[in-house]
Amino acid sequence: MSNTLTIRKLTKRVVICLAILAAVMCLCCLTGTQKISLEKVFAGPGKTAGENIDYEILIGVRLPRVVLAALVGAALACSGVVLQAVLRNPLADPYILGISSGAGLGVIIAIISGISGTFLGGSPIAISAFAGAIITVWLVWYIGHFTGKSQVTNLLLAGVVVNAFFGAVIMFLTSIAKSEQVYSTIFWLMGNITEKNPPVLWVSAICIFAGIVSLFSICYRLNAMTFGEQEAQGLGIDINKTKLFAFGWTAFITAVAVSLSGLIGFVGLIIPHAVRLVLGPDHRQLLPISAIFGSIFLVAADTLARTIVAPAQLPVGVITAIAGGPFFLALLAGYSRKVGWLK
Amino acid sequence: MSSIIEVKNLSFAYNQESILNDLSFDVTSGQFLTIAGPNGAGKTTLLNLICGILNPAGGFVKIDGCNVKSYSIKKLAQKVAVVRQEFVPPFDFTVEETVMMARAPYLGAFGFESKADEEIAALALEMTETIRFARRPLAHLSGGERQRVFIARALAQNTPILLLDEPTSFLDMKHQTGIYDLLKKLQLEKGKTIVAVTHDINLAAQYCDKVLLLGADNYHIGKPGDVFTTELLEKTFGVRIFAVNFGQEKFFIPSGKLAKPAGPNRTTSFIPDS
Amino acid sequence: MNKFQRQLLIMLCLAVAVVITFSRLQNQGRNVKHQSGQPNKIVSLSPNLTEILFELGLDEKIAAVSDDSDYPPQAAKKNKVGTFWQPNTEAIIACKPDLVVAESFEQQKAVTESLKKLGYKVLSLKIEKIEELFAAIEKIGSATGRSRRADELIKNIKAQLDGLRSKSRSSGKVRMLWVIQAEPLRAAGRKTHINELIELAGGENAISDTIQQYPPISTEELVGSGVEVIIQSAMGTGIENEQKAAEAFWSKWQNLPAVKNHRIYVIEPDTILRLGPRLPQGAETLARCIAAKQENQ
Repeated sequence: MSNTLTIRKLTKRVVICLAILAAVMCLCCLTGTQKISLEKVFAGPGKTAGENIDYEILIGVRLPRVVLAALVGAALACSGVVLQAVLRNPLADPYILGISSGAGLGVIIAIISGISGTFLGGSPIAISAFAGAIITVWLVWYIGHFTGKSQVTNLLLAGVVVNAFFGAVIMFLTSIAKSEQVYSTIFWLMGNITEKNPPVLWVSAICIFAGIVSLFSICYRLNAMTFGEQEAQGLGIDINKTKLFAFGWTAFITAVAVSLSGLIGFVGLIIPHAVRLVLGPDHRQLLPISAIFGSIFLVAADTLARTIVAPAQLPVGVITAIAGGPFFLALLAGYSRKVGWLK
Repeated sequence: MSSIIEVKNLSFAYNQESILNDLSFDVTSGQFLTIAGPNGAGKTTLLNLICGILNPAGGFVKIDGCNVKSYSIKKLAQKVAVVRQEFVPPFDFTVEETVMMARAPYLGAFGFESKADEEIAALALEMTETIRFARRPLAHLSGGERQRVFIARALAQNTPILLLDEPTSFLDMKHQTGIYDLLKKLQLEKGKTIVAVTHDINLAAQYCDKVLLLGADNYHIGKPGDVFTTELLEKTFGVRIFAVNFGQEKFFIPSGKLAKPAGPNRTTSFIPDS
Repeated sequence: MNKFQRQLLIMLCLAVAVVITFSRLQNQGRNVKHQSGQPNKIVSLSPNLTEILFELGLDEKIAAVSDDSDYPPQAAKKNKVGTFWQPNTEAIIACKPDLVVAESFEQQKAVTESLKKLGYKVLSLKIEKIEELFAAIEKIGSATGRSRRADELIKNIKAQLDGLRSKSRSSGKVRMLWVIQAEPLRAAGRKTHINELIELAGGENAISDTIQQYPPISTEELVGSGVEVIIQSAMGTGIENEQKAAEAFWSKWQNLPAVKNHRIYVIEPDTILRLGPRLPQGAETLARCIAAKQENQ
């Protein structure tokens, strides 16, 4: 009679989804503004630049972009799942606790002050965005805690206040910046997938993967937490430790994603809902599957973004919003019977 | 039989307003205790103090011989299960999934249930007669059915003590009695200790072994027959009570100022003794 | 933190350390093809850089340009590799360039960094002031083997600008405003290269020093500025229409000398906004706007 989630069932589903992801990634690597032939790619990089452009384009330009899109998509979707559970709010997205404005502030300060120097091959802007995001989350947590034992409402309010305040500072700085600095900031805030070098990708992949696995370990606790904190504590869940753990890791992986690609919206909000509609709210399944579909979605969106108005590119956030919206509505219409909270 | 719950000199205040003052009582293992009293007397507060959600200002609560504070959250959840008012959570978990969550205090690192856990959950569903809608989302059930699911969850938690906070407040008569029957069954067949907060003193009196009547600044504890007297109830609840004898039982009906007059005597038999 | 989480954290730090050391040890970048001469396939990512390349006679060697490289007319016919703000790396690589010239602001820097990692030769130039323009021309000249022509070009431009400067010195300073945007009102401030051109042409910026490069201006400031000539950059919807619209817009402020004397001009901004070889033309256009007053008087 039981329809419970077992490790075997979950593994099977995860493997299938990973296969889909791999297929999508390969397909997207072969799609782009220039035609390339696969045989030429296998010939290898060539001794000098320009000898084997098929290889350079596929491996040097497209592959890093596709990998980055996959990483960022996974991080954002995962973060959305966890935040929606902990905050018991279906409208929560990865940026709700102030990460967006914190990262944006870090970015504009870096752009205006023109600091240089890299760390791990990551640009100073990325580092600044990461630092801004982490500091802001810590600030929001501290304010929420300070004003009343980090209850959910206090945290959300603190997030709103911090976002507003930092947003105002960003506006001020934008108004005094040079025009290309302004454009750079706005461009960054819109969210973009660009080519990064391998060390950056490797480090980000490790961080994001570690985050996803850590968050997976508390998923069964998240299930209980959606029933309320008192209920969860009655079921043996240490809610304070769980919340701290959840916020810490989601802030970390979101900050990594944001520092690499700016603020890409929609993924963290919609993918958890879409997967939940089809597979149900059990977080032990919701989290890994959402992460994979977050990757698939963003890889596809980015490929569209760089091919649809070639040779120019659209910011990937435009595609995620335009494509995500109707897609989600269609899903909702089909599965509306299953959705409890809409009633 | 030992006391499984021991409350001694318990005091608690919300913002300098004292709710409980020097409260002491015991619950022996396998007993059915009802906590009754007017709104604001501190019934829910007392329940929250017993299950460790709140910390007492004075005195202590001991579960199975050890102070509540000394238990880890996980270990306490293996001793005490709490059932509160039913509700629909923001995400649509099915009945099965909801009940299965009760196994959380016993699970390992990533929280996957074993066959044994599944069987315990299935048994809980059977006992509460909720197994026929095991795969339905909570939102698709009636209030009474949902309350039984929450009780099934507490059952699946496999604890010796069950605390319930007004489990039948919004339910119809059939479901009210259904739930009390279930609780009594759990006490008699499984030896569970039941502590239930209720507004319905008549229903409670039919099932419980002991009752704790919490007043604004006093309390009385004892058998229902001893504690539920017209004078004490009138004093505690501050309303005129109309007592009715029915066989060996006494029932109490509140009588408002504008209610229809019931008769010249305060105590009237409606149905002849059999 | 339980054992599992601690182990995970340790593994995380180890993995990161491994990646860092590995990447440091790895041989980054490959050798660019050694050129014994000049580059034959140049890609320009900016319209002013394109103009410079054409001025240095590198017409046939230009493989591709940015979308908005529209001058000289031959430039418009070249292959396009994306916009000024978003160059397309794939398209650039497809041209197999042996030299890429770009500007050094964030957007283009990101693209040039990836190209450099793949082994391409890139020239990244900062052009925000007139002095920097000369430095850029010189660098392009030496990278393309056209140093002599580059020096000539620089001398030429300098001469024209100096000529203008001395001519305008004779007349008094005219208060000018270069309007970037009408609503909300924003003008070119004193720190811009436009300001340099204004002063060269015999004008003085009607607004004083501001922290912003292109400050928004309040009505109060505007009225108090006593501006004598207002120049607006055309947006591309037809100079006639824009001129009429501008005059209508500015007629609100009847007490401004510029409005009273009908000294409002809408002009094609490329020669002024682009720091390129046509800068003297731009300066001259400004000078003509100023001189028109002298004639009217």
